Amino acid sequence: MKYKKLDMPFELVEVNILNASDPELEEISKERQLYFSLDEMKLIQEHFKKLGRNPTDVELETLAQSWSEHCSYKSSKPILRDTIFKVKAPQGLTVLSEDAGVIDFDEEHAYAIKMESHNHPSALDPYGGSATGVGGVLRDVLCMGAQPVALIDPLFFGPLDYPKDKLPEGIKSPNFLFRGVVKGIADYGNRVGIPTVSGMINFDESYTGNCLVNVGCIGILKKKNLLHSRVGKPGDLFVLTGGSTGRDGIHGVSFASAELEEDSETTSRPAVQLGDPIMKEPLIHACLEASEKGLLTGLKDLGGGGLSCVVTEMASAGGCGAEVELDKVPLREEGMAPWEIWVSESQERMMLSVDPKNLEKVLEIFRFWDVPAVVVGKAVPGNKVLVRYKGKVVYEMDLNFTTGSLEYKRPYEEYAGYNGPEEEVSEPENLNEVLLKVIGSSNIASKEWVIRQYDHVVRGNTALLPLQGKFETPGPGDSSIIRPVENSFKGLVLSTDVNPRMVKVDPYWGAASAVEENFRNIIAVGGMPNSMVDCLNFGNPEKPEIMGQFRAATEGMYFAADNFKVPFVSGNVSFYNESHAGAILPTPTILGVGIIEDVRKAVSMDIKGPGNILFLIGETDNELGGSEYFKVVHEKLGKVVPRVYPDKFKQKMDALLKAIDQGLVESVHDCAEGGFAVAIAEMLMSGGFGANVSIKDISGNATRADYKLFSESNGRWIVEVKPENIEKFLTLFENAAITKIGYTTDEKMLKIDDLINIDLETIYKTWKEPIYKAMGEQI
Amino acid sequence: MKPKICVMRIEGTNCEDETARAFRLVGADAEIVHLKQLIGDCSEERKRDLFDYDAMIFPGGFSAGDYVRAGAIWSARIQSKLKNKLNSFVKEGRVVGGICNGFQVLTTLDMLPGNVRAALSTNESAKFECRFVYLKPFGKSAITENLDHNEILSFPVAHMEGNLTFVPGKEDESLKALKENDQIIFRYVYPDGTPANRKYPINPNGSIDDIAGVSNLEGNVFGLMPHPERVLDSFNHFDWTRNPRKVGDGLITFKSLIEFIKKKL
Repeated sequence: MKYKKLDMPFELVEVNILNASDPELEEISKERQLYFSLDEMKLIQEHFKKLGRNPTDVELETLAQSWSEHCSYKSSKPILRDTIFKVKAPQGLTVLSEDAGVIDFDEEHAYAIKMESHNHPSALDPYGGSATGVGGVLRDVLCMGAQPVALIDPLFFGPLDYPKDKLPEGIKSPNFLFRGVVKGIADYGNRVGIPTVSGMINFDESYTGNCLVNVGCIGILKKKNLLHSRVGKPGDLFVLTGGSTGRDGIHGVSFASAELEEDSETTSRPAVQLGDPIMKEPLIHACLEASEKGLLTGLKDLGGGGLSCVVTEMASAGGCGAEVELDKVPLREEGMAPWEIWVSESQERMMLSVDPKNLEKVLEIFRFWDVPAVVVGKAVPGNKVLVRYKGKVVYEMDLNFTTGSLEYKRPYEEYAGYNGPEEEVSEPENLNEVLLKVIGSSNIASKEWVIRQYDHVVRGNTALLPLQGKFETPGPGDSSIIRPVENSFKGLVLSTDVNPRMVKVDPYWGAASAVEENFRNIIAVGGMPNSMVDCLNFGNPEKPEIMGQFRAATEGMYFAADNFKVPFVSGNVSFYNESHAGAILPTPTILGVGIIEDVRKAVSMDIKGPGNILFLIGETDNELGGSEYFKVVHEKLGKVVPRVYPDKFKQKMDALLKAIDQGLVESVHDCAEGGFAVAIAEMLMSGGFGANVSIKDISGNATRADYKLFSESNGRWIVEVKPENIEKFLTLFENAAITKIGYTTDEKMLKIDDLINIDLETIYKTWKEPIYKAMGEQI
Repeated sequence: MKPKICVMRIEGTNCEDETARAFRLVGADAEIVHLKQLIGDCSEERKRDLFDYDAMIFPGGFSAGDYVRAGAIWSARIQSKLKNKLNSFVKEGRVVGGICNGFQVLTTLDMLPGNVRAALSTNESAKFECRFVYLKPFGKSAITENLDHNEILSFPVAHMEGNLTFVPGKEDESLKALKENDQIIFRYVYPDGTPANRKYPINPNGSIDDIAGVSNLEGNVFGLMPHPERVLDSFNHFDWTRNPRKVGDGLITFKSLIEFIKKKL
């Protein structure tokens, strides 16, 4: 008999693993949705053999949480340690790798930043999944003692026009998922009053079965109020605050650590949590008030694994053991078994660690904010966690064992790299048509349909909006800016980007390009890159091909980050992004943070006036791998992914930042998706001025007109300079590749040599309409 | 003497910080006060008396989640716990204002426009709309009396329910009453001041007669959907990199409001 119901006044099951055969061990793991490998089950068996008893369901479930890929990073850790964890950087790091990274902002303040994936829940329940993703990342930032100031959401879906009759069984339409995810983020973020200022949306067939919802949050704190996710000392009380505990979100992390299957809808629907932003909003106030008054010794949010993980991790980080009384936990459902209470991922809960002498003061604060708060346990000396329910011990385990999951050195395919020439494609005759096709492709087209649903100006600190330019025709800004400290002009510059097709073609250079593109975005508005967080979304790590992608991508990220001396300060790995419809494109999403000393010096991407001179900084090479042009015009992936040249880049960066600081430039736009042609078109349409441009003399090895126009080579910006500033401007660029390409005009046309001649209205309409149309809306 | 401003909050209000800051920047003493503090449902030291303040502002947000209807729960709580006091507060001529969700609350409480019944219903686009709008100020309300009525202001809106509507069948007489009594205080216009004539998105919600804000008959109670508190600094404007301003339009607006309040002291 595999399971034995114990004689208790509640449901408690002893799981017979001591005498279980290998197939039985595997059966147990499968039947209880624990997602253990056989090796892991055997390790558990061995451990309990030493103890001379069987585990309870509570104990086994806890291990399933702690050892899940999602919580333990068992496949990724060995690689991350060799790559992006090693970046040496001068930034004042207060904390690396707790719930969020904390980095110096100014003398008194630090910023806290975190990005997380909420992919699988969103694939099943787009509205609830994305909303709780936002809630979770807000709590991660909050638990450092920080006031959240902005949200950033990179999203990835299948094509919006995916034919419904071709959808694989059990897969929801990308259109439905997109609408639901955006609404979920909007409803949660808007309600809790944190502006969603930045993001990206990418469409590709590969995300049809497994959309990606990455959610990032940045907060600001006084350094003296920094909180750690741990208990202070033995005797400190665990105070559980916020929402009640129900059956929602059970097995969330283990579900996130497996591939989606046809029947995921029925088997895993309970794994999606329910959000409540109106519990969260006072919870933020209450936690920050208690923190400001110095009444907490630690604070951590309840996320993956629920109570089991929060108690284990806070005790372990504080060098203590813990005792917990499960009956104290406020429940919203009757008849929950102890293991369900212990691992539920119900939302809007935070765990405080409080010195008993401050308990009354803390409880008063939470009463005032109408947020429930109850003592559920205490820290004790030693390293044992003991859990009681109705007076009976239901769990007793050593922290060393719970937190000591296996690490896997998974087999991986060696990264080959490619140093040959770019693929030759037929040269199109009508480049006007090509430009319109590229600028109207869903990846480049306006995301205004989304942006308008997000409140991006609440809190009154947004200093550069996601849409920039004229009232009638705003275009896509490179970065947004938040001014986080009242009466200071220093700003946080936020950008998020990755081109997954590049990563697919060449994971090393694709991932390095993602790092550089974020830096270019930050620099374009006048910011200095300061830190990054990542969300590494990949397929099943047990497949050598996927592990090879992962390894090469992290190496590419490390190369770029280390050379630029900008660290990754927090991160998240999401494997198993596969469904029966296939694996996703490898998607290392990067969120870059820059600092601008004075937000009043920031520059936007819209052309400011006629008669100004246009320059192209950087070199345009035959690098079309993963480009939008190859995708939408030639239906090819290409071969050569843009390279990153850190030394050259730094020279250009220094010069451009100086030029911006000295007020010498009117507008700047980064050349990325769609290359030079799209960047110049966007600048003109959003500014309402035309331009006469020549690309005959630009630097780089691209010779074909279409490659010059649409190559996505790194290290390039287009800059608009007033005639009277040119001399000063050019002296800054003595050591960098820069070409004067033309001038702006009053005539609302984009003219590039004899290649392109289109009116701005057509460009704007072509760019603006696609997503609205796909969502069935008129403009 | 510094005017004392009470910025009220409950769970889900989320614009109180920037609203209080707006008042501080124009020389007022602003305090964020939870409704519980005004009705005595808290510890002694947290308690506050409404009559210690010269003005009361209902800020924006999603009070109590706005799950029933925007402003419904907040106004119900005011109705049952604070309404009599608030009525005397207004009768004395003290200023009460509502921004966005606060406007929805004052409308639900029938404090705005007061003489006719109105409601803020769902935007014609049926979506949450976050965008900048242009506004022309009118009337002698607390917030607009001291504004230059020839200057066009630009604030952001961020709401789902901002479409001012009247009792069906009584639209014409209601609108006439508001016009005759100078109770329309902000209208949505094109950047050059031309009336929006309900053209989307110049008028972002379809509001009748392009109304963005109204006041009561006396002018000391006012409400508006757009958010002046979000454009206190010049760099909060969406187009500041191409149309530089000395200060944010919101700051100009709060200056005008505080002048009105000061005169009453």
